[in-house]
Amino acid sequence: MAHLPSPARLRDAAVPWLVPAAILVGWQAAVSVGLVSNRLMPAPLDVLRAGRDAVRTGDLWTNLGISTLRALAGFVVGGGIGFALGLANGLSRLSERLTDTSVQMVRNVPHLSLIPLVILWFGIGEEAKLFLVALGVFFPIYANTLHGIRSIDPALVEMGQVYGMSRTELFRRVVLPGALPSIFVGLRYALGIMWLTLIVAETISASSGLGYMAMQAREFMLVDVVVLAILIYALLGKLADTLTRALERACLAWNPAYRSA
Amino acid sequence: MLVDTLSREAIPGPASDRRPPDAPARTEAGQPVPAGTPRGLSVTVQGLHKAFEGNPVLSGLDLHLAAGSFTAIVGRSGCGKSTLLRLILGLETPSAGRIAVEAPPGTPPRAAPPRRIMFQEPRLLPWARVVDNVAVGLTGLGSRAGRRGRAQDALEEVGLADKAGQWPSTLSGGQRQRVALARALVSRPGLLALDEPLGALDALTRIGMQDLIERIWRAQGFTALLVTHDVSEAVALADRILVVEAGRIALDLRVDVPRPRRRGDPDLARLEGRILDHLLGTPQAA
Repeated sequence: MAHLPSPARLRDAAVPWLVPAAILVGWQAAVSVGLVSNRLMPAPLDVLRAGRDAVRTGDLWTNLGISTLRALAGFVVGGGIGFALGLANGLSRLSERLTDTSVQMVRNVPHLSLIPLVILWFGIGEEAKLFLVALGVFFPIYANTLHGIRSIDPALVEMGQVYGMSRTELFRRVVLPGALPSIFVGLRYALGIMWLTLIVAETISASSGLGYMAMQAREFMLVDVVVLAILIYALLGKLADTLTRALERACLAWNPAYRSA
Repeated sequence: MLVDTLSREAIPGPASDRRPPDAPARTEAGQPVPAGTPRGLSVTVQGLHKAFEGNPVLSGLDLHLAAGSFTAIVGRSGCGKSTLLRLILGLETPSAGRIAVEAPPGTPPRAAPPRRIMFQEPRLLPWARVVDNVAVGLTGLGSRAGRRGRAQDALEEVGLADKAGQWPSTLSGGQRQRVALARALVSRPGLLALDEPLGALDALTRIGMQDLIERIWRAQGFTALLVTHDVSEAVALADRILVVEAGRIALDLRVDVPRPRRRGDPDLARLEGRILDHLLGTPQAA
């Protein structure tokens, strides 16, 4: 198991990074040669320097920590409610008839359009951001959990009943594992929406966090810090995606589509 | 009801010994195991009616299946044969009539052996390893480790012991159906219903499966009820063949050919021809 990765595997691992690396090199070259003004677009090395300074002063970690905490809190609240309601509506006709129409109506309202209202309600406190993130994360988790439960093969459910599974066992051994691939799709959508919502909310109304850091830098014309913040968003997005993929591979190893993908 | 009969039974030994202790020994001449082997359940159906949304599927059907017998039901599509099977298993409720599934006399009511069904599709849980899929057949019986142990034994019986740790998606169609057979048999049922279980398999795999089912049936002595539209499969496996037509039993034939049966046996071929003539409506004295 622990043998060195073969050249072929190294090459495979390097392929996805070729395009980002080429862009970086081209970008640095364009700024160094003077094709692009340093005031509009700082060179990668300048951004790196800004990052180093932000790390040294501790600003980066503080803001990153605050943003992550907000994102996770909103995700847990919104995702939790979405998951629970998705399960309830997937398992109970009554619950679905009662709530699904309302959810579908609210779903078509862009949640970021609520920002003015949310500021009126909560001011620029933590609640505003938590509310917006939770709302944004709710829908993909809800819709995909519901879809996952709906698309379970009824033949498998009948099989479970024939073999005397109780309702809890049927849920734990047949329904939930069967819905899991779809729930993961919802999770990945939700993670993307989570960062998007948070950054927008922090850019508009906040006194800390990554979005706030970028806004402040703009006021002082610190273009390198603005670009730094944007790059951090990209890395965070990639990180969330990588974690979900690892989780998928661990939980969905039975599914040929996920095996050693 | 599928009652807990197994938890108090010792874990069975190697495959060849898996016969109820007091079951008659397999006869050398290959005679069918005599009816009345202790584990088999008997089935009595009286005046059974079943209608779906006003359309009658079964109308006044009477039937008795002896404990330990192997009966095949054949008929055209839509004749009600699968419905009959599902009714006997308790998967549907009759519109009228009575179905009694009885354990051999002297069995304590709580210890009646379970009824099992094997579907046309394997219906394995894709997210459970092969051995855990077989252990589904022991839901609610004994400890987790005990269930796994017995599931492993059942896999050995169908020749898939080495696949225990695999995902079902890595198996071939025939192997999956063998896993489904192991799942149906692991709880040592008294009645095994087979709802066209081999319909989706290729011809050679199907013959292998038929031999496997026959071997296990003879070793274990459960009552077997096979629904099929493959007449040659019915005559190869069953002691008795019922032809269902328009919701009733139109033909009830005994198959007295000794086992193991040779494929292409002239007696079997004659019987098959007779049933086919009946199904296709060729005029012939029954």
